[in-house]
Amino acid sequence: MTLDWSVVWTHRDALVDATGATILLAAATMAIALPCGACLAALRLYAWSPIRTIAACYVEFFRNLPLILVVYWAFYVLPILTGLGLSPFLTGLAALALNVTAYNAETFRAGINSIRRGQVEAAMALGMSRPQALRRIVIPQALRRILPVLTSTWVSLFKDTSLVSVIAVTELAYVAMQVRAQTFRVLEMLSAMAVIYWLLGYPQAKLVDWIQRRYAVSE
Amino acid sequence: MTDDNRVMQRAKADRPKVIRYRGVVKRYGELKALDGVSLDVHAGEVVCLIGPSGSGKSTLLRCTNGLETIEAGQIEFEGAVLPPDERGLRVIRQRMGMVFQSFELFPHLTAQENVAEGPRTVLKMKAADAQQRADALLAKVGLEDKASSYPSELSGGQQQRVAIARALAMNPDVMLFDEPTSALDPETIGEVLTVMKRLADEGMTMVVVTHEMSFARRVSDWVAVFDVGCVIEQGPPRQIFDAPLTERTRDFLSHLGWAD
Repeated sequence: MTLDWSVVWTHRDALVDATGATILLAAATMAIALPCGACLAALRLYAWSPIRTIAACYVEFFRNLPLILVVYWAFYVLPILTGLGLSPFLTGLAALALNVTAYNAETFRAGINSIRRGQVEAAMALGMSRPQALRRIVIPQALRRILPVLTSTWVSLFKDTSLVSVIAVTELAYVAMQVRAQTFRVLEMLSAMAVIYWLLGYPQAKLVDWIQRRYAVSE
Repeated sequence: MTDDNRVMQRAKADRPKVIRYRGVVKRYGELKALDGVSLDVHAGEVVCLIGPSGSGKSTLLRCTNGLETIEAGQIEFEGAVLPPDERGLRVIRQRMGMVFQSFELFPHLTAQENVAEGPRTVLKMKAADAQQRADALLAKVGLEDKASSYPSELSGGQQQRVAIARALAMNPDVMLFDEPTSALDPETIGEVLTVMKRLADEGMTMVVVTHEMSFARRVSDWVAVFDVGCVIEQGPPRQIFDAPLTERTRDFLSHLGWAD
């Protein structure tokens, strides 16, 4: 079996664009899922109890469905629900955001709950209101605790973006598979794809390690 | 012993009452944690609450600044009944410093930031002023060289001294100490008690839940002995430690190896 690596070079422009799309997809997903996850966590922790239940249902629903199912679901159901003809990119983004929001909500909630009661009491004993105690004492500590979790969610998300290739979002996995289908250069394209994902992923994983060391709070 | 005698023994009894507990009842479900506690704290007094674990001393302290609500009776602070609402309680809490058994320093802030946090957030003091106050208070508890240390870098005794400075930063009228030395290694207990003694000598009104009987005897003006949610005896330390009036006080103290 002969290998012809020139196929990778020939399709470099498509691969570079696709890599850009992958990065954009992951970044846009997080940009949505961080604030939405925080809001959802706040609802689960502090809202009126029926709202809390609804938020909990959302989290448990999306956290326990395979992501690829959510992607297909978004592709077929979202246009009917919203009446909008969303592009594959936006459909994929919606599916990823629905999923990661659920994860982030749990992460935020667990982080807040991990701060022991005595910390809030100490803040309140100084005369702080509950919102002040939350803002000044609980959230800064919780954020440091959950930062490692959020960053590893990010690394997973970065790789999971490949799942939206099933609805023809022109991100890295989809484009590489397209090239493979056209050229029958299976091994070359899979290897190229692996190298690109790894080269992008590895520094992020290292960054995660560094962040975990940098922001760890010892007690 | 007549009432007149007791008043004479209570040197600061003629001073205004800072805290008055009147028949305070606190329930946790079926359990009566406080079963009608009445006690006065006069300005400048050090009142020690002693008694076996689970007898209600800490609960009473936590009710004093409204961290716990009470079911019956009332607590007066500086002549007014504790307000029922959070907003009113916040004002009261600023007048009462509290020190916890487990320190509860804020681990993400340095010693200086811990002490400056109350003035900054609650009193809206300027950063530089709050810092200055923090430095002065850290010096007062002998930790001026630890201003930039994080709590995890300090010993238990040092952490508790920072916690005392943090409570003092609000310029409170009363300091509430909830077993301040119970979580400490024996060798660091002394430094915390020394700071507390100095505070008492400066005239700070203090309510101290403690198992340090020698501190209670040496420093306090008045001692209340708790058992199963009640004050079973109260009086000056000489009475409590040398001539307790009740059998249960005697029992409690002899269990600690204090009385005969």
